[in-house]
Amino acid sequence: MKTITLEEFLNDIDTLTIHFTLAAVLLPLLAFIINFSLPGRLHKLAGWVSTIAILLSCIISASVFSKVWNSHHVHQQMLWFTIGDTKVYAGVLLNNLSVLMLLLVNFIALPVHIYSTAYMKDDEGYNRYFAYLSFFCFSMLALVVADNLVLFYTFWELVGFSSYLLIGFWFTRDSAVQANKKAFIMNRVGDIGLLTAIIILFAQFHTFDISQLFADKGVISQSVIQGGTWIAPLGNMPAVWQYIACGGLFLAVAAKSAQFPLHTWLPDAMEGPTSISALIHAATMVAAGVFLLGRVYPLFNGAELTILALIGCFTAFMAATIALTQNDLKRILAYSTISQLGFMIMAMGIGAYASSLFHLATHAFFKCLLFLVAGIVIHQMAHIKKDNSLDIDPQNILTMGGLRKKLPLTFIAAIIGGLALVGLPLTSGYLSKDGILIQAFEWSDGKSGFYKIIPITAVLTTWLTAFYVARLILKVFFGELKVLSDHPGIQIHIGDGGWRYKLPLILLAVCCLFPLFSVSPLLYEQAWLFQGLTLTIRAVHANIYHTLIPVSVNILSVLVIYGAYMMYVKRKGNIFLQSGFLYRLSAGEWYFDRIYNSVIVKPILFLSTAAFWIDRTIIDGFINALADIGIKIAKLCAWIDHHIIDGFLNLLVVIVEAVGNFARRFQGGKVQYYLFSMLVIVLLLFILKTVF
Amino acid sequence: MNILTLLIFTPILFGVIVAVLPSAWRGSFKYITLLATLVQLGLSVWIYCNFKTGAGFGGVNHESQFQFVQKLPWIDLDLGTMGKMQIDYFVGIDGLSIALLVMTSLILVIAALASWEIKSNLKGFFVLFLILDMAVIGVFCSLDFFLFYIFYELMLLPLYFLIGMWGGARREYAAIKFFLYTLFGSVFMLLVMVGLYLSVKDPATGNHTFNMVQMMNPANYEPGSVFSALSHQTIFGFPARAVGFVVLFIAFAIKVPVVPLHTWLPDAHVEAPTPVSIILAGILLKVGGYGIIRVCISIFPDIASADAYWLGLLGVISILYGAMNALAQKDLKRMIAYSSVSHMGFVLLGIASQTAEGISGAVMQMVSHGFLSTMLFFLAGVVYNRVHDRGIGHFRGLASIMPQYAAFVMIAFFASLGLPGFSAFIGEAFSLMGAFKSHSVNGLLPYWMAVCGSVGILLGAAYFLWTLQRMFFGQVNLKGGSVWQTALTDLNFHEKITLVPLALLVLVLGLMPSLVFDKVNDSVLALVQFLQFK
Repeated sequence: MKTITLEEFLNDIDTLTIHFTLAAVLLPLLAFIINFSLPGRLHKLAGWVSTIAILLSCIISASVFSKVWNSHHVHQQMLWFTIGDTKVYAGVLLNNLSVLMLLLVNFIALPVHIYSTAYMKDDEGYNRYFAYLSFFCFSMLALVVADNLVLFYTFWELVGFSSYLLIGFWFTRDSAVQANKKAFIMNRVGDIGLLTAIIILFAQFHTFDISQLFADKGVISQSVIQGGTWIAPLGNMPAVWQYIACGGLFLAVAAKSAQFPLHTWLPDAMEGPTSISALIHAATMVAAGVFLLGRVYPLFNGAELTILALIGCFTAFMAATIALTQNDLKRILAYSTISQLGFMIMAMGIGAYASSLFHLATHAFFKCLLFLVAGIVIHQMAHIKKDNSLDIDPQNILTMGGLRKKLPLTFIAAIIGGLALVGLPLTSGYLSKDGILIQAFEWSDGKSGFYKIIPITAVLTTWLTAFYVARLILKVFFGELKVLSDHPGIQIHIGDGGWRYKLPLILLAVCCLFPLFSVSPLLYEQAWLFQGLTLTIRAVHANIYHTLIPVSVNILSVLVIYGAYMMYVKRKGNIFLQSGFLYRLSAGEWYFDRIYNSVIVKPILFLSTAAFWIDRTIIDGFINALADIGIKIAKLCAWIDHHIIDGFLNLLVVIVEAVGNFARRFQGGKVQYYLFSMLVIVLLLFILKTVF
Repeated sequence: MNILTLLIFTPILFGVIVAVLPSAWRGSFKYITLLATLVQLGLSVWIYCNFKTGAGFGGVNHESQFQFVQKLPWIDLDLGTMGKMQIDYFVGIDGLSIALLVMTSLILVIAALASWEIKSNLKGFFVLFLILDMAVIGVFCSLDFFLFYIFYELMLLPLYFLIGMWGGARREYAAIKFFLYTLFGSVFMLLVMVGLYLSVKDPATGNHTFNMVQMMNPANYEPGSVFSALSHQTIFGFPARAVGFVVLFIAFAIKVPVVPLHTWLPDAHVEAPTPVSIILAGILLKVGGYGIIRVCISIFPDIASADAYWLGLLGVISILYGAMNALAQKDLKRMIAYSSVSHMGFVLLGIASQTAEGISGAVMQMVSHGFLSTMLFFLAGVVYNRVHDRGIGHFRGLASIMPQYAAFVMIAFFASLGLPGFSAFIGEAFSLMGAFKSHSVNGLLPYWMAVCGSVGILLGAAYFLWTLQRMFFGQVNLKGGSVWQTALTDLNFHEKITLVPLALLVLVLGLMPSLVFDKVNDSVLALVQFLQFK
């Protein structure tokens, strides 16, 4: 009988886990391949192929999660290729962070798939939609388990690529293809940053392996910056390259997670189907930036983290102010996503690592829910528009109102999602957001007064959030249906829709409440997710912040919501001017697009025209001038040939001819001439003789 | 019979058949040519499978480590007191040639398939095509400089006629520009070659020799000869070896092409018929890159290191300048031509780094660009053959009327802009990695070059996506109206079987770059070592 040691036994289990993980990752890829090769006629099948794939993947990743969470890291790899002396491996790295993301992505993707089978059912590109959707899921799942930076970069870009495909899903719409081009190119800026960072890390540490680089005792933790040099175990380079690597990583994070200054693609990305916005541009892909930060966290030093916190905080505030005045339902949600991502980045910057990822998880649920709600609302408004041939924008919240009676379930889901977004108690958003706020205050305590700006702005942003969420829900679900009062007599047949709409909403709404994350509705430290991700176990600070901040923040939030209610539903006083600089700044989205257009896009286009001009005029001009000179010299040579060399020869000929003609005359054959010439010659001789 | 010799001269055999067949049978010429290229492909796949790897098969400067070698005395002329003239028929391959050889054979099959569009003077076309075929294969196999030069020059002649006779409106201008540009480079190369011949002696026979492998060994140089590293001779006041290097580099840089020697390329591409564009971009440009590795830096390693900064700089300039120009183009083929300039800049940057990553990346980039540019030019040909127009602004919404075509264009564009999963990403990323690492390994290139080079990847996304958006998406709107709409049919079977293998190849190479790296690696390591201990 063969006995196996405990180690071998554990290895076997690990191998099984890895196989499970691979299955979870590859199932959506399989669905993509099937859907891609399905003939167009097999319409309904595509949706179920993708949905079943993601369902299986979800179940498998749940089992992987249960094996790895809070237990041990699993890391297996195999040789991918060798280049020079460098061996590049491909493998799977499972730790708390990756299995959490694995489960989260699947768990969000599942309801979105179910919802999509109904939402997209009348679209011509149904097959294509699900093929793309499965491809996205594959890339995202692979991204979170990739164990080295080359592989990570690969899936990082593939995620962006599938997002490109899905934003431009309705490719005959100009706005959609403008938006997807913008999204891809802005993401490319981030990709370049990531690539540069990878190159720097590789040159410095000679490896791509994430666990070797970023683990607790990894090579990065052994490197130091001393006297302007970045010293690592295997070599060193000027310290500036450490800053550039961090800058590159920040660009990558900013591009994917839509942070200032690369955030402007996300609102435009709402041109894609709403179900896509829910999955990709709200819950999963945009969180990839935060996930990247989580992976490479040890590289950042104190000052760099502070910059991160400032940018995150600024983004959160800026996006929230823009969300206040937008009228497009999806645009409001897009800006709220940017704002919440800003919170996560800020949390990373202030060292609230676990809270940041916790917020990532809770945000994924409630933002996905809100987008699905938006999808239903927009769909119903589009119905009204189509049934009555109206000229309205189905996404404009000013045409909505009073929908709570028509869409009761959607309304409840919206309320739950909205409260979670604001972060009121009993919701998951409360647990994660208040964690961030409390830690922000704690962080600023040890620092100079200037740093207080971060927690204060964050709290301010929370109140702004409460206001725009309230405005959104009140305008959509309360009051009177605006389109009906504008066009009396129109037919309205709308409702929540079938189970494929309702089930995802219920599922996600349940996940927006506290019990999924913590037994205690009020203490974020007790959330299992928070505990599982905390880097260092700290004694729980039972300081004043832990009670003061949640209480004050939430009371004021409720007041803000009440104010909004009074303003929009009861129509009692409007404290905001519809004109003025601040309003225009907010409605104009801080004019980022205009600035980028005139500061970056136009100069580059000008430069490219100039480059082509140089090519045509200077380089080719020089070449053509050379050719001209060649031809001129050739012509000169021909002239010399003709007139001088040939001329000389011709002259000789002419002379000889003339002499010949002259002499010929003496040979006429007449005796008199001969005698005469003889006489002349004799006479001449005599004359010459007498003279000389 | 040596298999390389067979590989080189197979096309000429078929060329003779085409030449002697009566013109009435002209319909069969394309099949004969296709058969020739398929036989060649079979041979090179056999060579690829039987190519041995390991430290003992590095090649580069060790004659004994080359594989499939054939060496026959060719011109043996007793010059009396001047010794004996020794020119060998010397062919053989190492890891640097094998990848390009297989790529070349494959692209030639595709080019033969693309020749279906040629309708006039078929006999002339296919005979010239097959001569060109022989010449390009010969270049990648030759190890004797004289033989190399003959094949190198032999490529020019058929190309001149292929562009000049079967090209577009300004074909004569393009053909003569191309011809003079490249001739300008190679004439001076001839002088350097003769100089090298007079400097190098075969240690075995004591004769002067054209053997390139022996030219790489400083011990074979005659003391006091013009290119001897020890004698410090000068030409026009410059060190002779530096002049030799620069002259050879210019000759190959014209082929690559390196900015500012690139302006023949857009004109030649725009005017050339599709199969010739494919050969030009797919193969000819790689001859330039291959020449720089095999001839320039291997024979003049000392100068290559001293001037690495300038090579790298030219590489970066090509990347950025080419990309900028591509952004400004209004003609699809011209845009692709400039993107070639940009992509080949990565090759030069990788080579200049003299690191294993950089050179492997450069070889990978060449192979990848070979397939991708083939695909791109073929795709540009598809729409041109249907409506005889290529203006980017003249089309709109093509994805709606030609969905399969649009799908292939998207694959080609995204692969070209360096989307991971496709081969170009591996090539570009590792060229840049080598360039960046160079500073810590051998101190040749500054760090910033790699960072600037990576901006080219960003610009690549910009011009490809902009073209996609303008030509393929949006509502259908064609300059030619409904006439065009009926003419623009989706891909036919013939076009699909041409495109599918290319698309699969770039994908497979992107997923399994080891297919290239495994064969190339030993030679790259040998080369890097040789360059370090020159």
